[in-house]
Amino acid sequence: MGSRTSAWTRAGACAAVATLCVAGMTGGTARAADPLKIGVIAEESAISGIAIPNGAKLAAEEINKAGGVNGRMIQIIEYDDHASASDAVRAFQRAAHEDHVAAVIASYMSEVVLALEPWSGRLHTPMITPGAASDNITKRIKEDYDHLKYTFHGYMTSTSIADIVCDAAKDMLVDKLHMQTAVVMSEDAAWTGPLDAEYLKCLPKIGLKVLDHIRLSPDTTDFTPIYNKIEGEKPDVIITGLSHVGVQPTVQWQQQQVPIPMFGISSQATSSTFWKDTNGAAQGVVFNMASAPDTPVTPKTIPFAKAYVAKYGIDPGYAGYTAYDDVYMIADAVKRAGGTDPDKLVDALEKTDYVGTIGRVVFRGRDSEFPHALTIGKGYITGLMVEWDHGKQVTVWPEGVAEGKMSFPAFVKTKQSSAN
Amino acid sequence: MSGRTLWTGFLVALAGLALLPFGVGGYVLGLMTLAYYYGVFAMAWDLLFGFAGEVNFGPSFLTGLGAYAAGLLNHYAGWPIPACVAAGAAAAVVGGVALAVPALRLSGPYFGLITLVAVLLLQNALVLNAGFTGGEIGLDLPDVLSADESTNYWIALAFMGLSGAILFGLSRSAVGLILQASGQDAVEASALGYNVTKHKLAAFCISALFSGLAGAMLVFYLGTASVGTVVDIAVGVQVIIAAVLGGRRTILGAAIGAIFLIVAGELLRPLGQLSTFVVSAFALAVILFFPGGFLGILSSRGGAR
Amino acid sequence: MLTLQILIDGFAISSLYALGAVGFTLIFGVCGVLNLSHGAIMVAAAVAAWVFAGTYGAGPVGGALGGVVVGLVVAYVTYGLIVRPIQRSRLIPHEEKEIFVLTSTLLWGIMIQEAIAYFFTSNPKTVPPVIPGVINIAGVRTPTNELLTAVVSLGAIGLLWVLVNGTRRGRALLAAAINPRGLTLLGFELDRIYLLVWTIYGLLTGIAGVLLGAFLGVSSDNVGTLTASAFSIVVLGGLGSVSGSLVAAFVVGYLETCTAYLVSPTIRTVPVLLLLVAVVYVRPQGLLGRR
Repeated sequence: MGSRTSAWTRAGACAAVATLCVAGMTGGTARAADPLKIGVIAEESAISGIAIPNGAKLAAEEINKAGGVNGRMIQIIEYDDHASASDAVRAFQRAAHEDHVAAVIASYMSEVVLALEPWSGRLHTPMITPGAASDNITKRIKEDYDHLKYTFHGYMTSTSIADIVCDAAKDMLVDKLHMQTAVVMSEDAAWTGPLDAEYLKCLPKIGLKVLDHIRLSPDTTDFTPIYNKIEGEKPDVIITGLSHVGVQPTVQWQQQQVPIPMFGISSQATSSTFWKDTNGAAQGVVFNMASAPDTPVTPKTIPFAKAYVAKYGIDPGYAGYTAYDDVYMIADAVKRAGGTDPDKLVDALEKTDYVGTIGRVVFRGRDSEFPHALTIGKGYITGLMVEWDHGKQVTVWPEGVAEGKMSFPAFVKTKQSSAN
Repeated sequence: MSGRTLWTGFLVALAGLALLPFGVGGYVLGLMTLAYYYGVFAMAWDLLFGFAGEVNFGPSFLTGLGAYAAGLLNHYAGWPIPACVAAGAAAAVVGGVALAVPALRLSGPYFGLITLVAVLLLQNALVLNAGFTGGEIGLDLPDVLSADESTNYWIALAFMGLSGAILFGLSRSAVGLILQASGQDAVEASALGYNVTKHKLAAFCISALFSGLAGAMLVFYLGTASVGTVVDIAVGVQVIIAAVLGGRRTILGAAIGAIFLIVAGELLRPLGQLSTFVVSAFALAVILFFPGGFLGILSSRGGAR
Repeated sequence: MLTLQILIDGFAISSLYALGAVGFTLIFGVCGVLNLSHGAIMVAAAVAAWVFAGTYGAGPVGGALGGVVVGLVVAYVTYGLIVRPIQRSRLIPHEEKEIFVLTSTLLWGIMIQEAIAYFFTSNPKTVPPVIPGVINIAGVRTPTNELLTAVVSLGAIGLLWVLVNGTRRGRALLAAAINPRGLTLLGFELDRIYLLVWTIYGLLTGIAGVLLGAFLGVSSDNVGTLTASAFSIVVLGGLGSVSGSLVAAFVVGYLETCTAYLVSPTIRTVPVLLLLVAVVYVRPQGLLGRR
C-alpha cells in the first residue's frame, strides 16, 4: 500500500514542484518595480526560429540599458515550441497563466500562429507574430474582431509578399531580361495558399505567363523529378515560395545545373548560414526579404544587424529583425497605455507608428480588409530582393537601395546570355 | 504487490489528484488534463503489449481514427459531443479490427511494421486531403467539452480513472491471464485449448476502443484535431516510452509513465531545446537499469516481489 | 528521354537505399537486433562530414572520411552502451529483450537527433560532393555525384559480399546468423563476431549517411523517416536476408521514382506503403525471406 501511494504522491509532488518553481521564479524576480514580461515562442533549433528570441533579447537589453519602460525592466521569457502547434499552445497557456506576460511574440510558422490566435483571444493576451505570413491570420480578425483583436501581424502577409515579388520581377526580369514565361513552385503549407493565388493573379499582369503551378510537399527530399518536369516546360524563370524547405532544393538545383533561374521567396536563404549549409550552391539565388544586413532600409537596420552579429556571431534570420522591432513596439505601447491592461495595450498597439529595422510600421485599421496587418507601400514597408553572391547577401532591388546587380550562375541560361 | 494494495493505492491516488484544482493554477491543470488522456493511450497500449504480447508501433493509428472520426462528424454534421465520441470509439474499433484480423496472423516485427505503416497511411490520407481534414493546420471543432479548466480536469481524471479500473480489472481477470499466457507462449496456450487469436483480437478491440475514446475526448478538450497531436509517429513513440517507463504489464504504470513524461518535459522547460534530450536520456537510463519501470522499482523496494 | 531519366535517377536512389538497408538487415540477421537509431546514425555521419568539410576545412574527401568514422563510432556506442547491456541483462526476460532493444534504440535515436539539432540546428545540411559537375548521358544531364553515389554504394555492398563469402571470418558470420550456438561449439567467440558485425554495420551506415548528405542533403528532422524506410525495405525483402534487401531496395527506389515522375512527387511514398501492406499480408516472410 505504502509503495503504491508514494508513486502517486510523487506524481502529485512533481505537479506541486512545477507550481513552486513558477512561484519561485515570479517571487524571486519581483523587485522594486515588477519587470515587464514578454513571452517569446519559437522553434529554437531552426535558424529562422532562433532569430526570434535572439532579436527580442537584444532589444530588451538595449531598452533596459536605457532605463527600461517607465522604470520597469523588460524580461524576455523563452519557450521552445519544437515547430509543434500543440507545444506552442501549451507554451502560450503557460505564458499567460503562470508567467503573467504582458504580450507574446510568436513563431514564424503560419500553422503555429493560426493555432495560437484563438488562445490569444481567449486568454486576452496580445500577440505579435514576427514571421508568419498567412493572410488568414488577419482575415480571421476581420471576421471576429471582438474576440481576436489581440493578435497583430508583424510580418508582411503572403499576398503582399507576392505583390512585392511581382513588382520586382517586372523591373528585373520582364523589363531588363525580356522574360515571358514562369513556373510557380511553392511548398504545400498554410502561408502559400494566398501566396500562390496572388502569384497566379499578378504574374500574368506583369507579362509573365504562368506555364505551370507546382505545389510540393514540405517533406520532399529529392527535387530531381520536379526540376525535370519544370525544365520540360521551358519557362524563363522559376518563381519560388519556399520556407520549410530551402537548402535541399537549392543544392540540387546547382548540382543538377538546372538552367533556369530561381526568383521569389526562400526563407532559409535569408539566414547567413545558408551559404555554408548549401556549400555555396546558393550563388545567384534571388529572394525576398524585408531588410538585409548591409542595406540601410532605415537608419536602424545596419546598427541592429551589427549588434546582432557581435552578440550571436551570425547574421539575423528574417524574423530576427521583426522580433527586435516588436519588443520596441510593445514597450512603446505599454508606455502609451500606461500599463499592461490587455485591452488598453491593444488600443495602443493599434495606434503604433514606429520606424523600425524593416521600415515604418503602421497596423491597418479595423475597417480594412486585413485588420492588424502591416501597411505596405512607399513610405511604409517596401521589401527588398536580395541575391547570394560569393558568400554575401547583396540587395539587388529596388533601385534606390540596391548595392549590386543581379547575376545568375554560369549554368543558368537566360535569353540574354544565350543571345550573347 | 497484491491486487488489493494496488486497488487501494489507485483509489487513494485518484482521490488525491481530484483535489488538485483547489491547490494549483489553470496551467498546471491543463497540463495534467493532457497527461491523463495520454495516460489512457498508454494503458490501452500496455493491454495489447503487456498482456497479448503484440508490439503495436501504431497506437496513434487508433487514437487518430477516433479523434478524426469524432472531429469530422462534429465539424461537418454538427453531431453533439457524446454522439461524436461514441462514433469515434466505434471508428477506432472498426479500423482496429480491419487492421488486426489480417495483422494478427503475423508476428513480431511484421506485426510491428504493419501497425507502423497504418499510421503513415492515415497521416498521408489526412495531409493529402487537407481541404476536407484541415491538413497540417488542423480541424477546428465548434464544440468543446468545457471552457472551465477545473471541469476539464475532472472529466479527464474521471475518464482515466474509469478506463484504468476497467483495463486493470480486465488484466487481472481470467481473460487477462489467458492473454498473458498466449502472449508468452502461444503454442502452449493453444495446446491448453484456448483460442489464442480470438483472445488477442478481443484485446486489440478493447485497446482500440479506449484509444479511440481517449482520442475523441482529447480533441474535444483541445478544440482542434491535428495530425501533430493525435496521429504523428512521435505521439505513438511517446505512448510506447510511457508504457515501458512506467512498468510494462502493469496497466497502471503506463499512466504513471505518461504523466511523468509530460510533467518532466515541463519541469525541464528552462533547459529549452535540451529538455527532450534530457527526458529521453533519463527514460533510457530507467529502462536499462530498472527494466521493471517505475512500478517495478516501487515493488522491489516494498519487498513484495 | 523520360524513361532514361527515371532509369538513372531510380538507379542512384535505389543503390543508396540498398546500402542503407544492408547494414540494418545484417545486424538483425546476425544479432537479432532491430536498431531504431539507424536513421540517427546516418544523419550523424552526414552532419559530421559537413562539419569536417566546411568548418574544419578538411575538404570533401577528408569530410567524407571523417563522417564515416563518426558513423562507426556512434554505431559502437549504440552497441556497447545500449544493445549489449540489454542482451546481457539478467533482469530482462529473454522474450522481452526485443521490445527493450526497440524502445532503447528509439530513445537513443531521439537523443542523437536532439543533440544534432542543438549543436548544428535542424536546418538541412549538404555534404560537398567529392566530384562536382555533371555528365551528359544520352541527353540526360546527370550530376557526377549521383553516379558516384551509385558506384560507391554498390561497391561497398560488393566488398561485403566478398568478405562474407570469401573469408573464414565472413563464413563464421553467416553461420552465426543461422545458428549462434553451433558456432560457439566450433570455438568461435560470439562476442568477436558481434563486434565484427557492428563494425561492418557502422561503416556501411556511415557511408550511406555521407552519400545521402551529398546526394540529397539531410536534416536532423529526417531521422525517423530514414529509420522507417530502412525498416520497410528490410521487411519487404525478408528480415535478415541481405539479397532480399537488395531486391527490395530497388523495388522501392524505382516505385518511388516512377511515382514522382509519372504521377506526382507529393504522393511519392504512398504506393510503396500500399505495396508493403500487400506484401506483408500475402507473403509475410517478405520477397526473399525464409520463415
